[in-house]
Amino acid sequence: MAPVTRQAILEDLRERIRRIERRPSHREGFLPSGRPEVDALLPGGGFPRGALSHLAGGPASGKTGLALEILAAALREGGLAAFVDGRGELYPPAAESLGIDLERMLVVRVTGDAATGLWAAEAVLASGAFAAAAIDVPVSRLPAARGEAMLRRVQMAAEKGGAVGLWLGPAEGGRIPAAVRLDLAGAPRPERIRARGQAGPGGGHAA
Amino acid sequence: MQLELAPRSAPRVLALSFPDLPLQRILREREGGGLLAVVEDGRVAHCTGAARAAGVRPGDGLAEARAACAGLQAIAADPASDRAALRALAEAMLALVPAVEIAPPDALLLDAGAARLTRPREAGDDGETGLADRARRLAAEMGYRARAAVASGRGPARALARYGRGPILRAMPSETARVLAALPLPALDLGPPVEERLQALGVADVGALARMPPETLAHRFGAAGAAAARLARGEDTSPLVPYVPETLPEEAFDLEAPVETAEPILFVLRRLAERVSARIAGRGLGATRLRLTLKLDPRGEERFLLPLARPTSSSQGWLLVLKERLVDLRLPAAVVGLRLAAVEVAAVPEEQLSIGDRPEAALALEAVLSRLAARLGESALFAAEPADRHRPEAAYRPTPFLKPKPRVKDGKGRRGRPAGQGPLDADAVPRGDLVRPTRLLASPRPVVAEGEGGRLTALRVDGRAYAVEALAGPERLRGEWWSEPFDRDYYRARLAGLGDCWIYRDGADGHLYLHGLFD
Repeated sequence: MAPVTRQAILEDLRERIRRIERRPSHREGFLPSGRPEVDALLPGGGFPRGALSHLAGGPASGKTGLALEILAAALREGGLAAFVDGRGELYPPAAESLGIDLERMLVVRVTGDAATGLWAAEAVLASGAFAAAAIDVPVSRLPAARGEAMLRRVQMAAEKGGAVGLWLGPAEGGRIPAAVRLDLAGAPRPERIRARGQAGPGGGHAA
Repeated sequence: MQLELAPRSAPRVLALSFPDLPLQRILREREGGGLLAVVEDGRVAHCTGAARAAGVRPGDGLAEARAACAGLQAIAADPASDRAALRALAEAMLALVPAVEIAPPDALLLDAGAARLTRPREAGDDGETGLADRARRLAAEMGYRARAAVASGRGPARALARYGRGPILRAMPSETARVLAALPLPALDLGPPVEERLQALGVADVGALARMPPETLAHRFGAAGAAAARLARGEDTSPLVPYVPETLPEEAFDLEAPVETAEPILFVLRRLAERVSARIAGRGLGATRLRLTLKLDPRGEERFLLPLARPTSSSQGWLLVLKERLVDLRLPAAVVGLRLAAVEVAAVPEEQLSIGDRPEAALALEAVLSRLAARLGESALFAAEPADRHRPEAAYRPTPFLKPKPRVKDGKGRRGRPAGQGPLDADAVPRGDLVRPTRLLASPRPVVAEGEGGRLTALRVDGRAYAVEALAGPERLRGEWWSEPFDRDYYRARLAGLGDCWIYRDGADGHLYLHGLFD
């Protein structure tokens, strides 16, 4: 049925314009973090869009700071960013110091269980509304099989939505189905960052 | 001096007439038709096709109708509900035209004066037929069948819609009288006394009335007669009386049989959402909160309030939220009916037709925010805003995450940074120089200091000792003496095997606490 209301007409026009313009997909390519020492380690020179990247490290290893810098890079490109805060620990004043425009970063503070946090991550990544999203959800208490299945869904959501998905996890832990794994150890010194790249879920060779 | 007023011309009016409106209203809120009749003053006023096939005719007495059709379900006429139905339709029509008049018992009059502006001209149409077509389709989406007529003047348009032939009629200003002439007398809605007297005079149709000398009519019938003659000649310059909606829209639907699964409920909900959204879209409003009421079998109901991330009249966006809510729902009984209302509305921000800024992302954002808010609660979603407070845990406040404005490249219009929250002249600082941790613990953890010869060597956190590699500070933060005073000396300590931590000595008890992590 042809559109009737103003809104329907607008949506119809947009759809037609999209078809005429044949927009390039926003789902390909890499997003450089803006830190040369990190980007140099990564295949493609940045974090892959439409995939999950695993930033692994201890409680104060620098993974959150790096994730915020990547979100800031996405914001500089004009996109939106999200932080799924399953531990309730994100401290926005530091995010602002790292170049984040706080107005354009959605914080999703999940107070429920890990499954709810993963659901929120999935919704955010699959929406296509965010260029990059960081996910900080403690999954260690989830039964292994269930956790794995849910993580797989999160990864598929990143593929669907085209976002740079950043999974923040401890140094040791279960397998994360990520395209890239970056191990961060202690203080932010470049030589202590190791990347494993692109060889499929869980990472492959050391770069 | 004499003032000369230009003669007022009759407005172009699109009239929509809803045949058997009371019956249509009842049928759209339930499944299936069957043997139904609407009864007014003990007589059948309207009946379904099935009832008609069984021998029931409008005008029959109820007993007579029941004798003809044993299974006939008689429903009492409810003019108030019919009028509410017209109001609902009028609200939806406001999406198409600037003004709508409600013309009881079964019609709407739409201002068609600007029809030619609303759509690119098609062959042989100046926009009016297209407008009539869109209005009929919108009515169909609302669950009503309508006949449409466009003519000059309220009376002629309405008469043509009610008594004309064909789904859409259009009369040019010059041919109004000619088109009206063929209609029966009741089309002019003159009232039974006048109609009866005219019929007694041998005036059978509108044409005959138009041909009568106006003076005779004025003499016999007074002002009503003169007005009737003008109307019959197609002269009606009276303006529309626009309807201004006051109440918030609500739509309901009763299921034929109790259901226990989400699928049929969602199916009905889609229809209800489209109807409610059409009504508020017509007013240029968007819902910010919906209320879904599920009628349970045999009695009782469950109500849900669903917040929406931003004012929207997109039924698709609503459905995402409604679906989210219904998927995990456990109900004590089966559902027999649904009611959906927009209980809170707000003006929808004027949308610009800017083609380049990925409007699909804006729609996606709206959908995901609504989904998240429905499941996690509105307070779980926010954008942080710096607050001018020294107490670290109060140094930011959550604000609603709104549609982002275009970025101002020169940095103007950005929010100010409170003192002590990092350099003012730089967008980003190297991570090693961060003055605030990236993580702040909800409850600070006690830390025990270990030392040798007055020198701090290790800090014990959660029972485990970490060697101190570096220590910077203190930064004294104190204040709020008027409410909850605090006095803390903060240190940034690099602990072997853990990383950089934000630790403070509490002036109140002298103890050390781990408050944040430079993660």
